[in-house]
Amino acid sequence: MSIDIALLAEFSDGSPSRSALELAAGAAELARQSGGAAVALAYGPGATGAASLGAAGAARAVVLGDGAAPAVTHAMAASAAVRELAPLAVLAPATPNGRDLAAALVGLLGLPAFGPVRAVRIEGGRVRTEQATLQGTVITVSEPAEGAPEPAIVLLLPSTFTPIEGGSGSAAVAQAPDSQPGAFGTVRIVESHPAEAAVANLEEATIIVAGGRGVGSAEGFAPLRELAAVLGGAVGASRAAADAGWVPYQLQIGQTGKVVKPALYVGCGISGAIQHRVGMQTAENVLAINKDPDAPIGEFADLFVVGDLFIIVPKLTAEIRRRKGI
Amino acid sequence: MKLVVCLKQVPATTAEKRYTADLRLDRAAAEAVINPLDEYAIEQALRLQESGAVDAVSFLSMGPEQSAEALRRALAMGGDDATLVTDPALAGADAWATARVLAAALDRLAPDVALMGMASDDARGSLVPGAVAAIRGVPLLSYGSELRIEGSMARVRRLTASGFNVVEAPLPVVASVTDQVGEPRYASLKGIMAAKRKPMETWSLADLGLSAADLRGAALTRVIEARKPEAKPPTERVENMSPDEAVTRIVDWLAARKLVS
Ligand SMILES: Cc1cc2nc3c(=O)[nH]c(=O)nc-3n(C[C@H](O)[C@H](O)[C@H](O)COP(=O)(O)OP(=O)(O)OC[C@H]3O[C@@H](n4cnc5c(N)ncnc54)[C@H](O)[C@@H]3O)c2cc1C
Ligand SMILES: Nc1ncnc2c1ncn2[C@@H]1O[C@H](COP(=O)(O)O)[C@@H](O)[C@H]1O
Repeated sequence: MSIDIALLAEFSDGSPSRSALELAAGAAELARQSGGAAVALAYGPGATGAASLGAAGAARAVVLGDGAAPAVTHAMAASAAVRELAPLAVLAPATPNGRDLAAALVGLLGLPAFGPVRAVRIEGGRVRTEQATLQGTVITVSEPAEGAPEPAIVLLLPSTFTPIEGGSGSAAVAQAPDSQPGAFGTVRIVESHPAEAAVANLEEATIIVAGGRGVGSAEGFAPLRELAAVLGGAVGASRAAADAGWVPYQLQIGQTGKVVKPALYVGCGISGAIQHRVGMQTAENVLAINKDPDAPIGEFADLFVVGDLFIIVPKLTAEIRRRKGI
Repeated sequence: MKLVVCLKQVPATTAEKRYTADLRLDRAAAEAVINPLDEYAIEQALRLQESGAVDAVSFLSMGPEQSAEALRRALAMGGDDATLVTDPALAGADAWATARVLAAALDRLAPDVALMGMASDDARGSLVPGAVAAIRGVPLLSYGSELRIEGSMARVRRLTASGFNVVEAPLPVVASVTDQVGEPRYASLKGIMAAKRKPMETWSLADLGLSAADLRGAALTRVIEARKPEAKPPTERVENMSPDEAVTRIVDWLAARKLVS
């Protein structure tokens, strides 16, 4: 019977991504429940240094490929590794790259797939997942059907697990079994256009100040940036603000943007459309500032302030500074 | 150059949704629409056809018989013909079974590009495009904010952590596009009339040379419980106050939650 828990661990710029650290912690937790070991399937620039994932919770690591090739080019190596390891579950980040690899595994190996899920555990040797469906109106608990092949492929939302701090140890590293890259190996990056200015990774932010159409312009984001700075947070946006070109698309929160789970989300000039809501509804605390008393966000915010963001936000920044004495 | 858009009929985002006794979505109870993200794939396909990069645009859907309505609506936006794969054995199909069936149908249709949306509103896995590519043994170009065809290559623009890449693969490919490709067009009255005369075929599993056994019961997963999310405490409203009073209330609220010191 399979008991090990595998995870897809993406590396970039020589170090494990945030999702790899979260999933290593998650796989370690599930491995304790199943009595097995957490095994990282590492890919991307720096993946040969996967031994470092030992401190993050992985007992072993298999290197699928180093280098900056598109994640999906590692699909055949991932499939060969999964066949050899025969784990109970493979945890994948619900990111575009994570989903591409997970999807390839589902297709290549004919596996049950779950998610994106907000919780997963092993109960009596079975994988159980918890998922918010139908725009968050229903929570479903699912498991592999009787007799379904293993492993279960589980897509995890960001921040479902918290990276292990101050861990130690190193993972035993092995190369993936030989495989032909096949059709997926023909996918190539032909142009790379990095942004001129650094863009925050919203999935790592514990505080997010998000702006929407009500912010009115790119310049309108300046007071939001100042508030984010005094709170120690990052700036996010609705699709309307990203579509208008006021901020880069990487800052979009929602169904087709990032799914975030910060300790505090502050929505400024955002109406709270369902497609936005599904990206931020698991924030621990939601503060909304909107001049329309009937804005839908007023129905699910924890604190709903009816007012003009251009008056409230600068005053709020000033008051926080005053109380902090800065 | 032939392109097939795969689209799914889903309950409308705003429609009231219900679960049946066996915890499946009660599709009959909800208003059905084309999966909103698939409309962007349709839009991308029609733009490629209009620019001359693609000659023929077909639509393919797997689902209950009423999914023919979604295909008819797509045909009203444009394109040439449509195929519906429908079979009682497909009820409750999961990502793998869906991909297996779509892959078999695409083997028949043999397009240069099979184009999909980035996710379905109900399943939300974004797994079908990659799984179809894997089953068919063709490259995957996913999450394109634009799709182009250049000679024997397909290319997508894809967001990265801070900017974007251009990613390419040789045809035939499976591709998926995001909602950044451009707003989907509305069907015109003329389009709706024209759609009535466009050919639509219906295939069963047997027509594809597949049996219910090949699909291992349509789903490798099962829902064992469905419930309402935990109720949140009611919203505290701050209104009819001066801006200074409102700000004091906000900072007290933040401090009580240890979000500011
Ligand atoms: C397939 C699909 C996917 C989508 N995905 C996403 C997604 O991922 N993320 C996303 O955000 N949206 C997404 N959308 C779009 C979504 O439906 C909404 O259109 C969008 O979220 C609206 O953005 P908004 O709230 O900024 O703008 P609006 O809905 O226009 O709201 C602006 C708000 O600002 C308020 N306002 C104006 N001026 C001020 C002021 N001075 N002070 C205070 N308040 C003010 C107004 O009262 C209003 O409530 C998607 C839509 C579709 C169809
Ligand atoms: N039953 C279906 N019929 C046709 N296309 C589908 C079906 N299910 C999914 N797709 C396609 O796959 C994409 C991703 O769906 P999903 O993997 O369910 O999130 C959708 O946007 C559609 O283009």
